[in-house]
Amino acid sequence: MSDDISSRVSRRKFIAAAGAGGVLALAGCTDGGDGGDGGGNLSGEIFVTGSSTVFPLAVEVADRFERMHEDVSTSVERTGSGGGFENFFCPGDSDINNASRPIKDSELENCRSSGVEPVELKVATDALTVIVNNENDFATELTFDQLAQIWGPDAGADQTWADIDPDWPDEEVNRFGAATTSGTFDFFTETVNGEEGVHTQDYSPTEQDRNIVQGVQGDPYGIGYFGFSYYFNNQDAATAVAVSETGDEFFLPSLENAASDDYPLARPLFTYPDRNRLTEDRIAEFCRFFVEKSTSKEIVADTVGYVPNTDSKASEVMETLESAVDEANSG
Amino acid sequence: MTTDTNTDTDTVESVDPGLGRVSRLRGAVFRYVTFVASLVGVASLGVLLAYVFWDALGMDSAQPGWYAGFFLLVVAPFVGFVLRARTDAVAGEVALELFATVAGGIQGGFALVVVLDVIAGVDVWLSYFLTTIGPAVAVYLYGRLNRAASWTGLGILATGLLGPVAGTLLIGRIDVVVSGVGAPGIYLLTVTLPAALGVGLLVDRNEDLGDGRWATLALFALGVAGVLAADAVPGVSRSVWQLFVASFAAPTGYVVARNLADQERWSGLAGPGALVVGAGVLLLVDGPLGLVGPSPWFDWQFLTSPPSLTDPSTAGVYAPIVGSVFVIVLVAVFTLFLGVGAALYLEEYAGSSGLRGAVARLVRINISNLAGVPSVVYGLLGLAVFARLIGTGIGTVLTAALTLSLLILPIVIISAREAIAAVPDSQRRASYGMGATRWQTVRNVVLPRSLPGIMTGTILALGRAIGETAPLLMIGVPAFRRDEPTGLFTRTGALPRQVFTWADNPNPEFQYGVLAAGVVTLLVVLLTMNSIAILIRNKYERGDV
Repeated sequence: MSDDISSRVSRRKFIAAAGAGGVLALAGCTDGGDGGDGGGNLSGEIFVTGSSTVFPLAVEVADRFERMHEDVSTSVERTGSGGGFENFFCPGDSDINNASRPIKDSELENCRSSGVEPVELKVATDALTVIVNNENDFATELTFDQLAQIWGPDAGADQTWADIDPDWPDEEVNRFGAATTSGTFDFFTETVNGEEGVHTQDYSPTEQDRNIVQGVQGDPYGIGYFGFSYYFNNQDAATAVAVSETGDEFFLPSLENAASDDYPLARPLFTYPDRNRLTEDRIAEFCRFFVEKSTSKEIVADTVGYVPNTDSKASEVMETLESAVDEANSG
Repeated sequence: MTTDTNTDTDTVESVDPGLGRVSRLRGAVFRYVTFVASLVGVASLGVLLAYVFWDALGMDSAQPGWYAGFFLLVVAPFVGFVLRARTDAVAGEVALELFATVAGGIQGGFALVVVLDVIAGVDVWLSYFLTTIGPAVAVYLYGRLNRAASWTGLGILATGLLGPVAGTLLIGRIDVVVSGVGAPGIYLLTVTLPAALGVGLLVDRNEDLGDGRWATLALFALGVAGVLAADAVPGVSRSVWQLFVASFAAPTGYVVARNLADQERWSGLAGPGALVVGAGVLLLVDGPLGLVGPSPWFDWQFLTSPPSLTDPSTAGVYAPIVGSVFVIVLVAVFTLFLGVGAALYLEEYAGSSGLRGAVARLVRINISNLAGVPSVVYGLLGLAVFARLIGTGIGTVLTAALTLSLLILPIVIISAREAIAAVPDSQRRASYGMGATRWQTVRNVVLPRSLPGIMTGTILALGRAIGETAPLLMIGVPAFRRDEPTGLFTRTGALPRQVFTWADNPNPEFQYGVLAAGVVTLLVVLLTMNSIAILIRNKYERGDV
């Protein structure tokens, strides 16, 4: 078997990555604080569920983590933030759940009632992006009021763009949005429509970002919203809408605008490990790795397309994590 | 209506002009409508396949000159052969046999590597080989040689029950042997050698082929000497080489030799031969002639690398393939036992009257209905019953295997019942007439006669199972997993699930390159399984084994 492993390793062509990994492993040992536990001897399974917005970031982190720890196997499933809490994390099936909005009180209760204690770790900031078709040259700037008109509970199938603004064409608005299990849905409804879960029924809900892009791409009067990452990696497919909360100043979704808090639809992205499972070294180490990498411009911004944590935010999050690990180990 | 019924339709009008002409327009229109209807399906499937293969093989980047060479050297000879095979049935059959053997051998090799080397590991394999498989085969062979020994059947059963227990105890105690002989050596002795002996026996049976001992020796020598060649190929370890000699080289060599020995079948070798030679020549000349060929996504690197969502050039399907093979091997075991068992009971044992007959009727009707239940429903059932209630775990190998087994079980049972019902009753009565018991009749008459039908149905059903995505989504098979599964209770990736994940990737290189390569992998697996099923059916329909 040893010959198999060595040949597979060489196939993975990651001599460079292994070098970087070695450095990271050293770093992990020094600031991980969990002395005696070197980088290489972690093993076992990690099951991550939750937000499809955080999914690409979690996969990228898991991928790098596994290259450092060959014996750890990570499975990442995207279920939507709420779907993950409800169906996988709170019942105790998954170790970690990602979310594109803070955990709700009802979910916290649900988890605690089955002995699961979520620990909130902020891992990035997203600029939730509203897109329209590339041919759409009228609705390139939208206020929160206009968005609420389009996506609010009263918006029906007969709504036309002219209903939003009389200067716009008298064509039906076709909406492509997030499924109700999605944290994106919760954040969008709360921020734009004023109340969580309040949303028009006349839209195509999906957890697959590609369906939203394709829907808008194929429809000159379509509109959709999703996490910035998908738009960031596919900017030719659709046009991003500049948004404004009050109507004074409009901001396009971008990493700079989200980082500077100018962009009104910027939102934090989280990962929630179960505190009781932080006693397992591999899970604690994975969370440390995730938080550590949350400041990396290369991973978070360049590869995935979110705003990295600032150093001070990351060390704050790391403190939360470390105290949770200590609590888990002592209790 | 006084028309004479004997009158030819052409002369109807002359007999009774009062009826006027019978319009044939509707008939003609109907005929062409049916023709178009049959074309729509085939044509759209063809477009889809061409589209996917075009992307997967990266044909965009090839130069016109390369295409000219490709058509001249590969496509033209192949089309010529297909045209010839239309009139020469033997040629088509030989070509199908070769294709099925080669593709099946490669996939069988993958399955063997996954099951023995990746999942079980060489120490576990050796333990069970020494305690269960080896003794059982030895007892069986002794029974074949010495027909008077009536204890062999029970002996095999006892080995099958006690062997695994002994084998489990043996694991860990034979480390010395394992490290002394080495994994490739153990595979050489336990897999390559038996395969070589088996081919030798087959060669001996065939009068045209000469001495089987030479075939055995040649294959064994290939296993030993080929190690040097295997070392030079990246991604092929010595263990993998041994397993591929057994699963690929042995059957392919035998099939080629047998077809070569029979002059009537030579014409069939021309097609595959022309393909291999044409592709080989093209590979040799395109470099010197400066022809730029396609840059395929679907290549060796793709098959042997772990999946990725960010780097299309290194993304692969190794772990999902291992996961799918693992699951499908389990599904095959479950459905063969349960499906054939149920079909035998329903056809041979359950009477048609009384309480048992009523129960059997109820079961039959329900099985027929279950075959039409959407696969999503089976996914929900798998999540609720297997993953949650029984506790086999979310997205694990066992949950996936059990769910997919349930999904195709009705199809397997129905096709196995058809095959069993097709065995002529006269043969059963003849068996009873000679004093055979019911068990002996089932064992010696019904099962051997219906086995090809059962195998064909099962393989086609397995082909459906391997491509199913909806149930996998329901039972929580993860969207991304870099590692292959290591046991029944670890989570696993799967080919169709991986394709589904890639389909949502924003990067166009994933959407049009990697995704297409994943689809082609699935299609190649499916087409191979189907051609094996057709091959088995053809062979047994004509009665030659």
